[in-house]
Amino acid sequence: MDTLIDKVRNGDRRSLAKAMSLVDRAGPQARALADRLRQSTGQVPWWGFTGPPGVGKSTLIDALLNMLRERGRRIGVVAVDPTSPMSDGALLGDRVRMMRHAVDQDVFIRSLATHHREGGLSDAALHCARLLELAGYDPVLIETVGVGQSEVDIASVADICVVMLGPGYGDDIQLIKAGLLEIADIVVVNKCDQPEANRLLKEIREELGEAKRRNVETPKRQNAKTPTAEHKTADGIGGPETLKRRNVVSSIALGGSHGFEAPPIEIVGIEAKSGRGVDTLLDKLLELDRAARRPDQCQHHNRRRLMGEISRGVMLTCEQNLNRALAAPATEELLTKLERGELSLDTVVAQLGVAFKP
Amino acid sequence: MSLRGCFAVPGGFDPIRSSGLPLGECWAVRKVKVDVAVNVGSPKRILIGKVGLDGHDRGAKFIVRALRNAGYEVIYTGIRRTPEQIVRTAVDEDVDVIGLSLLSGAHNELFARVAELLKEEGAGNIILFAGGTIPDKDIPHLKSLGFRWVFTPGFALSEILAALEEELAGREEERI
Repeated sequence: MDTLIDKVRNGDRRSLAKAMSLVDRAGPQARALADRLRQSTGQVPWWGFTGPPGVGKSTLIDALLNMLRERGRRIGVVAVDPTSPMSDGALLGDRVRMMRHAVDQDVFIRSLATHHREGGLSDAALHCARLLELAGYDPVLIETVGVGQSEVDIASVADICVVMLGPGYGDDIQLIKAGLLEIADIVVVNKCDQPEANRLLKEIREELGEAKRRNVETPKRQNAKTPTAEHKTADGIGGPETLKRRNVVSSIALGGSHGFEAPPIEIVGIEAKSGRGVDTLLDKLLELDRAARRPDQCQHHNRRRLMGEISRGVMLTCEQNLNRALAAPATEELLTKLERGELSLDTVVAQLGVAFKP
Repeated sequence: MSLRGCFAVPGGFDPIRSSGLPLGECWAVRKVKVDVAVNVGSPKRILIGKVGLDGHDRGAKFIVRALRNAGYEVIYTGIRRTPEQIVRTAVDEDVDVIGLSLLSGAHNELFARVAELLKEEGAGNIILFAGGTIPDKDIPHLKSLGFRWVFTPGFALSEILAALEEELAGREEERI
């Protein structure tokens, strides 16, 4: 294990690829490596990119890679695509849009499948991002699967969250709905060569502009939403409830308890294929990136990330117990009884739940 | 969430049509036993790509869908790639198999270059196969370069999947 970590640190590309495969396979070796990686990383900001399927995440990352390379940066990319719920297979089709960087020694792209994880990412995505950090890539970019409104794991994983939208996202009501838009540090409207996109851009500026003003003007109401005393940890970060709601309010609330203010949400319109507007976006990303390197911010993000890992780790154990319970022959009987109305669903769930021990 | 629990029937898999390919047929060749507690085993990774200036990707995309249905993780590198791009991608993504599709006639030169680069990278244990309109008389040469199979028009999908599964099911995880 030590040799492998040293090789990765020294820039051995093949070892980096092999280490990533190791963490992608569940098992004790993967967990041991993951533990070591946690200790050696956490200083490089991770930029997260999320948004609906087909909105242009991969295309944007391709354009950013180009610009970051012009500025002499070495960039790592983790791109996640969904595992088939039917076959356990996957098409990992993000890097196909980044192929012009395939032979660049200062770019490393790794494609991963979710392995049925909900939330937009996979367990291995974090470990691979840490490996990229260890290998000297800075920044590290993470692309989620095409998400809907409620897959927001990226919020606890990345230091900076870019939420991308495109034409056809919906109307003003749609923009107030809970979920995706709440986790953004930057909202990017892509495909601004289309009039629909520009209408959306205008509406977002109105909607999120509203939210910004509301939160700044009513600090007392913000405090009502902060975690209660029993949820708070020693440094005030709070329990899983807070993390699930990484929204504008709790960002500012958390910020207040640390003595810094979360910056206002940036809203940028671009056309990723041609690169129009991407330089403006990159400037804003680099600004946030600089702020994210401050030691207090770094620690804040790291702890949030670790909290997410704890939460998902517990859920994974529960899931494994569930899978075993569902596969047992006794479940077939329970299913039949439920079908016939001999048992209620609550009873069936309770009987299966006996096997549960997180 | 894996839906497999909802669709699996005793003794097999419901034939669900996915993009025109009977899923049951693709799944039927699977030999890998997955621990029921674990969400997903360690799916093998297969790179499918087209080298050179060939833009006819219907066949490649058909194979990509079939492999996905058969439970593999497929890294599709698209059309008009150089041998260098293919090999670099294969090494960085740590794939188990590379499948190259070519219909333009440049297979002898380009496939040889891919095989050469893989050896230079120390990645000679990646399984190589080819598909496309390749004349029978060229197949022995390609096999001598390291291409395990050359799937010309006429091969049944089930043959292709069975060949891959046979080869991969036997492989042990490479120790690092």
